[in-house]
Amino acid sequence: MAATLTAGAPARPRKLLASRRTRVGILYALPVVVYLLVLFVYPIFSTLLLSLKDADGSFTLHWYADALTGVNLSVLFTTLRISAETAVLSLVFGFVLAQAITRLKPILAGLAMLVVVVPHFVSALVRTYGWIIMLGDKGLVNETLTAMSVPGAPFQLLYNELGVVIGTTSMMLPYTVLLLYGVMRGVDRRLLAAASSMGAGKVTIFRRIYLPLVAPGLASAGLLSFILSLGYYITPALMGGPNQTMIATLINQQVTKENQWNGAAAQGVILLVLTLAGLLLVKVVTSLGASRKKRSA
Amino acid sequence: MMELRKTLAGRIALTAVATVILLFLALPIVVILVTSFSNNAFASFPPEAWTLNWYKALFADGSKWPAALSLSALVAALSTVFSLIIGVTAATGLVRSELPLRSAVFALVLGPLVIPQIVTALGLFLFFEPAAMLGSPIAIALGHTVLAAPIAVLILIATLRGIDERLEDAAASMGAGRLTIARKITFPLAAPGMIAAAIFSFITSFDEFYISQFLSSVDTVTLPVQVYNSLTFEIDPSVTAVSAILIAFAILALGLVALVRWLGSGRQDSLLSVENTVGVANPGGEAV
Repeated sequence: MAATLTAGAPARPRKLLASRRTRVGILYALPVVVYLLVLFVYPIFSTLLLSLKDADGSFTLHWYADALTGVNLSVLFTTLRISAETAVLSLVFGFVLAQAITRLKPILAGLAMLVVVVPHFVSALVRTYGWIIMLGDKGLVNETLTAMSVPGAPFQLLYNELGVVIGTTSMMLPYTVLLLYGVMRGVDRRLLAAASSMGAGKVTIFRRIYLPLVAPGLASAGLLSFILSLGYYITPALMGGPNQTMIATLINQQVTKENQWNGAAAQGVILLVLTLAGLLLVKVVTSLGASRKKRSA
Repeated sequence: MMELRKTLAGRIALTAVATVILLFLALPIVVILVTSFSNNAFASFPPEAWTLNWYKALFADGSKWPAALSLSALVAALSTVFSLIIGVTAATGLVRSELPLRSAVFALVLGPLVIPQIVTALGLFLFFEPAAMLGSPIAIALGHTVLAAPIAVLILIATLRGIDERLEDAAASMGAGRLTIARKITFPLAAPGMIAAAIFSFITSFDEFYISQFLSSVDTVTLPVQVYNSLTFEIDPSVTAVSAILIAFAILALGLVALVRWLGSGRQDSLLSVENTVGVANPGGEAV
């Protein structure tokens, strides 16, 4: 330090200072990098290795063949189907709710956001339990429907796919609402006004201006809830029946009940690959959106 | 949506649908709170009679809840300490220095937040099982930190970005040393963000389920795993009382974060207004 302060040439101290800042930066980044390499990257890497090994340690693709046939394959399809249903529903609900919130007065909008955010921080187990109480034969929903003398009530709302999708949608909804609300607030209202001043009708403005502007946000919100649902099992395991077993439940069963680590590892890698593919799509969609915004600006 | 904007019927329809969706989010929580005081804790709503029995049952002899609660609290406290150490150093490195491979480090930090937790949990199980550390509170806390630390890093990055670097420069120009600047300028300004990071790390660990389930043993069961077991294998009506307490805990924690943010929001402004009255670094401001 003393040398840099007294040095005559101005270029040299700056260079020294820069390298010092770099060294300090590396030192500060070290804990997080080391921690995540040891307890996140390495464990996932060893999962990958395990999925490629046979009982005697030799290389095999047997576990992947196993994961992609018979019952396991139908679990994979169930996972994709339930995740897709959840994504579509939470996207539709999220779009309507975020739209409504953008129109509210600030105080009401704040209250509505509170109703979105507070559940998000309440344990998913607790919220799932709430749904189980609500959707039972004598739960709030069926009692209300019976009181309104809806034909067919009480309905079977639990331990089937309907129950699972209701439950998981309510878990994913806070994410989509928060994301879409941010996207909608980011829309430049002047573009809509400009279109209107040129004589465009409301339907045209919505279809040609508003929807294209929020489309990348819609796509990434939908993909996000799809990805998050893929690895989820708290709600499906508690609110579903045997036909709603998802891939994460299978991984859990293989490890804890059957002691079948290699098979579980292969399932984990498949889940990982699906997730990474989804994330890649999100990245493509958002960069497309960014370039479109640039062009329209 | 746009075409509905001006018509009254459209507005009413949108508000009605939005209200139903808000109920969809809030009702499961309200129902738990009410049921925890209900005579009949099983799938019957609304309740016929009121009781505090489920809360009393939590502390009855042979109850598993106190042990699960204290394990979760211990694990969450450890995880919060780890996350804060990692969070403060990482955020400082990412915001206040020239870091090579900055975006790679940032991607690594985001990793645990986007990778399915079940995959992380499986990897951690494979990591700790050979070391015979399953069921160890340390192992569970180390596992939870993989999820909690990235959240702490993100909050602290936002905190540090929000602190005006000119305040630190000004202190340095007046001869303050590194430690003095950290102690008297940066730390007080970052304190609200650090408290928020601590609270979110604690909640993340306290509520974490997948990693806990894989790293638990028969004797060491965290609270969420005990809740899950009560909902699947056993019939224990006091799980309603536990759930209600967890809801109260979440609301309290969020309220605390909001309070700390609100108290902290005035601080940098007051420092900057001191700067303004002194007349230093006041671009575009009126002469005092």
